[in-house]
Amino acid sequence: MTTAAPPQSRQRAETAAARAAGVWKVYGSGEAQVVALRDVDVELERGRFTAIMGPSGSGKSTLMHCLAGLDSVTRGQVSIGETAVTGLSDAGLTKLRRDKVGFIFQQFNLLPTLSAEENILLPLAIAGRRPDPAWYATVIDTVGLRDRLHHRPSQLSGGQQQRVACARALVARPEVIFADEPTGNLDSRSGAEVLAFLRRSVTEYGQTIIMVTHDANAASYADRVVFLADGAIVHELTSPSADAVLDTMKSLDRRDGR
Amino acid sequence: MIKASLRGLLQRKLRLSLAVFAIVLSVGFLSAILVLSATLNAQFSTLFSTINQNVAVRVEAGEPGPRAPRLTAAQVRDLAATDGVAAASPEVSAEGVVPYRAGDDTPVGTDQALGFGVDGRDDPLGLVALREGAWPAAADEVAVSAHTAEQARVKRGDRLKVYLPVLNEPRTFRVVGVVGIAGGRDSLAGETMVLFQEAFAQQTFYGETGVYAGVSFSAADGVSQELLRDRITAKLPSGFTARTAAEVNDEQAAAVSTQFDFFTYILVGFAVLAGVVGVFLIYNTFNIIVAQRTRELALLRALGAGWGQVAGSVLLEALVVSAVGATVGLSAGIGLGYWGEAALAEQLTMDPVPVVVAPSTVLLAYALGIVATMVAAFIPAIKASSVPPVAAMRDLSRPDRSLLGLSLTGAAFALPGAGLVLLGALADLGGAGFLVLLGGAVLLLLGSLLLAPLLARPVIRALGFVLGRGQAGRLGVRNALRNPRRTAVTAVALTVGVMMVGTAATVIESFKSSLTEALGTSAGVEVLIQAQLNAAPDGTQGFDPKALERVRAIPGVEEAAAWHFDAADVAVAGQPQFVFATDVAQAARMFSMKTVSGSLRSLGARELVLDENTAEALGLSAGEQTKVRLGPVERQYTVVAVYEPTPLVSGILVGPAAVADFNGPLAMQGLVSLDEGVDAAPVVAQVEQIMKDYPGVRVGDRQSYVEQSSAQLDGLLLGIQLLLVVSLVIAALGILNTLMLSVTERTRELGLVRAIGLSRGGVVAMVNVESILTAVFGVALGLALGVGLGAALTQALIRLKFATAITVPWTQLAAYLVVAVLAGVVAAILPARRAARLNVLDAIAYE
Repeated sequence: MTTAAPPQSRQRAETAAARAAGVWKVYGSGEAQVVALRDVDVELERGRFTAIMGPSGSGKSTLMHCLAGLDSVTRGQVSIGETAVTGLSDAGLTKLRRDKVGFIFQQFNLLPTLSAEENILLPLAIAGRRPDPAWYATVIDTVGLRDRLHHRPSQLSGGQQQRVACARALVARPEVIFADEPTGNLDSRSGAEVLAFLRRSVTEYGQTIIMVTHDANAASYADRVVFLADGAIVHELTSPSADAVLDTMKSLDRRDGR
Repeated sequence: MIKASLRGLLQRKLRLSLAVFAIVLSVGFLSAILVLSATLNAQFSTLFSTINQNVAVRVEAGEPGPRAPRLTAAQVRDLAATDGVAAASPEVSAEGVVPYRAGDDTPVGTDQALGFGVDGRDDPLGLVALREGAWPAAADEVAVSAHTAEQARVKRGDRLKVYLPVLNEPRTFRVVGVVGIAGGRDSLAGETMVLFQEAFAQQTFYGETGVYAGVSFSAADGVSQELLRDRITAKLPSGFTARTAAEVNDEQAAAVSTQFDFFTYILVGFAVLAGVVGVFLIYNTFNIIVAQRTRELALLRALGAGWGQVAGSVLLEALVVSAVGATVGLSAGIGLGYWGEAALAEQLTMDPVPVVVAPSTVLLAYALGIVATMVAAFIPAIKASSVPPVAAMRDLSRPDRSLLGLSLTGAAFALPGAGLVLLGALADLGGAGFLVLLGGAVLLLLGSLLLAPLLARPVIRALGFVLGRGQAGRLGVRNALRNPRRTAVTAVALTVGVMMVGTAATVIESFKSSLTEALGTSAGVEVLIQAQLNAAPDGTQGFDPKALERVRAIPGVEEAAAWHFDAADVAVAGQPQFVFATDVAQAARMFSMKTVSGSLRSLGARELVLDENTAEALGLSAGEQTKVRLGPVERQYTVVAVYEPTPLVSGILVGPAAVADFNGPLAMQGLVSLDEGVDAAPVVAQVEQIMKDYPGVRVGDRQSYVEQSSAQLDGLLLGIQLLLVVSLVIAALGILNTLMLSVTERTRELGLVRAIGLSRGGVVAMVNVESILTAVFGVALGLALGVGLGAALTQALIRLKFATAITVPWTQLAAYLVVAVLAGVVAAILPARRAARLNVLDAIAYE
C-alpha cells in the first residue's frame, strides 16, 4: 500500500472482497435456541457498494459481524479476500482487522481523548505504518474536514464526527469497509452527506464497502442490495431506487406477517 | 429508602471490600497498639507484684544512684523495730555486675545484670530461695540465679568470672549456690543475678561495710500498707522516702512501659498513615459508586426522595462499611496484640499473660473506623444529593469542573507553607525554627494534595514522553490525563508515605555523609572505643582511661584520647545540661577545633569550654564565671574558651580533673588516631584485646562508628519504610479500584481500538501505562516534597552545626520510583486483564 493509485482491488476483481459459504449462526441451545443465520451463501464483490437490508431480527447485523470477524460462526466458512476468517486466533483476527478491514459504526466511536486528525490516523498508528501523504490529503478533502482536524470529538457535530469515522476507515485503504447503520444517528442532511461520501469513495477510488442499514433511502446509494429475512438471504436488487427497495421491504414485512 | 441502600450495598461488595480493607488496616494497627500496651502493662504489673509480693513498704533514697545516701545497720534496726513490721530485708545491690561465660570468656549479654549482697540467712521476704548449695559466706564465694547459671554455663563448684562495677575490673569467684526466684522461676525477666557475701558487696559497691541502699518491710497481720508507710516515714532519716508496695509496683511498671514507647510510636504512625491513606481510598471508592449510581439516584429523586434521603443513603452505606471494617480490624488488632505479647514474653523469658482488651480500645477502634469513613464519604454523599432528577431520563454530560478554585485553595496553603519551610531552614530562629519548619511542612503537604490535579497534567505529560512508547502507550498517557482529579486523588494516596520516607532518607544520608567527612578530614580518627550504655551516662559505665596507656603503646598509634560523659543530673548556669570531660588541647588538635574566643588549652579543675550555640543559649562568654552542678556537688567554673561546633564536637567540655565529681571514673569513648599509612584492622584487634575486661565496650574502625552513630536513625528509616509498604498496599488497591472503573466506563472505546486493530497486548500496555503513570506521579510528588523538606531540615541542622552538607540519597530515591512502577504494574494486572478480555462485539454492539 504505497502508491497513491487508489483501486488496486479493481485489478483483482475476480476474487470476492468477502465471502460467506454455508454460514450458520446459532445462539443458545435446546428450547432457548435462536437461529440468527441459516445456511447463508453470499459473495460481496470488490470495488462495489453493497447494502445488507432486512427487518429487525433478520440477522443482517449478525451477518456483518461474522463477515468482519467480530463474531464467530457456528458452521460454515467466512473469508475476506484470500484470508479464511473462520478459525483465526485472536492474534490473527487482530492482524486481519489491522490490515484488511475498516469499520464505521452507528455511534461514531471516536476516542474522546484524541483530536480528529489523531482519530483518523489511529489505525495506521496502531499498525505502526506511516500515512501516505497524498492519499491522506485526498481523504481529508473528500470528507471536508481540513479546518476541523485539531478539534476534539466533543467539539464536532454528529455529521462531522461520522465523517471523521469514515476518514478513519478509508485512510488505511482496507480491503473492505464494514459500515453498521452509519446514518442511524444522523439527521437526514448529515446522513445524505455521509452516504454521498461513501458512494464517491467506491466510484472514484474503488473502495469496497459493505453497509448494514434498514433505511431504504440509504440502501439506494448502493450498487447492490441483499435482503435478509429470518436469517436467510431472500432477495437481491442491483442499482435500485429508494422506491424499489421500499417495495421489497414492504413485501418482506408482509411475508413475515408484520 | 434504607432497604434500597442496603440492597445496593450487597451489589457493590467487591468495590466496597477495598474500602473495608483500608479501614481494617488502619483500625487493626490502632487496636494492636492499644491491646499490646494494655497487655504489656498487665505483664509487668504481674512481674512487679511477684517481686513485691510479700513487701508492704519499701524505703529507698529519694534520689537513687551511686551518689545516694546510705542507711547504716543501726538505722535499719531502728526502722525494723517500728510497730507493725513483720520482717525487714535490707538491700545491698548494684547494676552492671556482668558474669562471663565459662569457656569462651565473653560477657553474658543481657539488658540487666544485677548484683546483690546477702547476709547468709534465707530471704525474709521470700523473693529468692536457695535451690542447691549454700549462701556465699566468704569474699570469694557467690551464688547465682538458675538463669545466670545457664547463661554463664556454670554449676555449683565452678569458677565464675564477674565484672565488678566501681572496682571496674573482673574478679573470679567460686559458685557455692544456685537460687530460684519466687514462683519457681529461673529469672524475673531474663536478667542475670549474682549474689555476694554481704560485707564484700558493701565494700565493693559502696566503699564501706555496714551500709544499705534501702530496706523492704513486710507488715504484721492487720496492718495496712498505708499505715505502716506512715509510721515508718515518721522515723525516716532525711534523704529517704517510704512507699507502699502498690506505689512501687505502679512506678516500676510505668518505667518499664516507657521502654516500649518507640515501638508504640511506630505502630501509632502505622495507624495514622493507614487512616490517612484509607480516607483517600474510601473517598475515591464512594465517588466511583456515586458516579455509577447517578441514574439510580436520579430515579429515586424523580420518585420523590429528598436530597437529604439520597445523601443519607450514601452515608448509611459508609456506616455499614465502616462498622464491618472496624470489627474485622479490631479482631485483627487483638490477634496482633496476642502475637506481639507472646513474642515479647518469649524473648524476656516470662510467662505470657492473657491479652487485655480494654473497653476504651473497642471504643477507639470503632471511633477511628467510623470517623475516617464518614469524613471520606461526606463529599461523595453531597455530590450524590445534587444529582438532578432529570439525569434519570437522559445522559447528562458532566462537563469538567474547573480546577481553578481547588488550585487557588491549594496555593493558599502551599505558598505560605513553602515560605515557612524556607524561613525555618534559612533564618536564625533558634529552637523555634524547627517548629516553624514543621508547621510549614504540614501546610505545604495539604496545599500540594489540593494542587495535585493541576500538577497532574504537566507532570504526567512529561512522564508520558518517557513511558508512552508506541500507540498503546500514547493512548494510556491520554487516559491518565483525561480526568486529572481522579488520577490525582488516586495517586496522592502514595504521596504522604513517600514524602515521609524521602524526608527521613535525605536527613539521614546528609547526617551520615557529614559524620564520615568530619571523621575523615578534621579528626583523622581511625579507631573508636565506645561504651554501650543502658542508662544515662555518668561515668559508671565504660572503661578505665588508664587502659588507654596500653593502647598508646601499640605500634602505629599516634594519639588516644579518653572522653568522659556525664548526663545524669547535671546543671550548668542553672539549666540541665550534660558535660564531656577530656583533654581539650588534645581534642582541639585531633578534631581541628576552631576557637571563637579565648584559647583551647588543657583545662584545670573548675575550667570549661563550650561551643557557640550553647554559649549563646546559656548567655555565657569567655572569661565569665558560671555554676556547674554535677549531682550533689556544685562549683564555680571559669569559661576558658568558646569554640565552633562541628558534627563531632559540640557542647560543654571540662578537664579530666573534673571527672572526680562524676558518679564514676570510667570513660565512655576512646578516640585513637594512627600514624600515616598504618592499617586500622590489626590495631582494632589489639585494642579489642585490651578492652575485653570492660563488658559493653565495643571497638571499631571509623566506618563502624558512623554506622553505629546512625544505627538508631537507620532503625527509624526502616520503620518509616515499613509505613511506606502499608501505604503502598492501600494505594495500589486504590489504583486498581480506579482502573476497574475506567475500564468499565471505556468499554466502548476499548472495543473500538480492538476493532481497528489493537492487539490484546496493546490493550494491556495501555492500561499498564495509565496505572504506572498514576503511581509514579504520586511517588514523584512525594519524593519532590520529601527531598525538599529533608534538604530544609538538613539546612537547619547545618546552621546548628550538626551537619555540614546536604546529601540526596539518589539510589534510594531511584529505588522508590522502581517500587512505584512495580506497584503500578501489579495494580494494573486485574483491570488490564479485564480490558484485554473484552469481547469486541459486546463492546461496540448497541442493538
